[in-house]
Amino acid sequence: MNKIRLLFFATLRERAGTKALELEIPPDMTVRGLKEKLAAEYPSLRESMKSVLITINREYAFDEAVIPANAEMALFPPVSGG
Amino acid sequence: MQTANLPTVFFITEDEIDLNDLLAKITLASTGAAAIFAGMVRGETKRGDAHQTEYLEYEAYIPMAEAKMKQVAEEIRARWESIEGIAIVQRIGKLYPKTPTVLIACTAAHRDTGVFEAARYGIDRLKEIVPIWKKEVSPDGQFWVEGDYIPKAGE
Repeated sequence: MNKIRLLFFATLRERAGTKALELEIPPDMTVRGLKEKLAAEYPSLRESMKSVLITINREYAFDEAVIPANAEMALFPPVSGG
Repeated sequence: MQTANLPTVFFITEDEIDLNDLLAKITLASTGAAAIFAGMVRGETKRGDAHQTEYLEYEAYIPMAEAKMKQVAEEIRARWESIEGIAIVQRIGKLYPKTPTVLIACTAAHRDTGVFEAARYGIDRLKEIVPIWKKEVSPDGQFWVEGDYIPKAGE
């Protein structure tokens, strides 16, 4: 199993009820797999998984990407700076 | 133009944005023009869904936001070779109407070199790819403002 760290921002942080989580995931898990796992294990995040943006090590990541060991991942809605 | 030594300033801050300090940092001996975009908290919105805003509360994924600001500056330099200095600054925290929240400034030798377009590009890209969010608090309640841009691979 690989350790990863998840950071939540904005609506995702409020729905998760936390800023960060440590998780252990199988070494071949993809971003899509992680979304399915979170939707199954955290009902409050299920709705958000449809439109969430995900990053791996501070770069945008997409469904097919395999998550590396010790990844710093973040989950958040489309950005609204300015 | 050699871009390695050109001044590029980018950061997230909770402090007041100091325009004079930023301008000094991006002004070279050869600079004759700066295009500056500043965004501020709008207390009264008339366009679209008219409403009042009490304050905005900003948050950022700071290390990634600063890395993406650097990327936006690199994109500006790739498009406008004339650009000398670039400053990209976003203020976060609880910010009230009339307060400047974001500043994009580009400098160049002359004003007809694309410097206006470069600053415009900078604010547009910040709103697309830099991980910053704002919650709007109004007399009617509060809600998170969400953008509509979905970054593509490599952005």
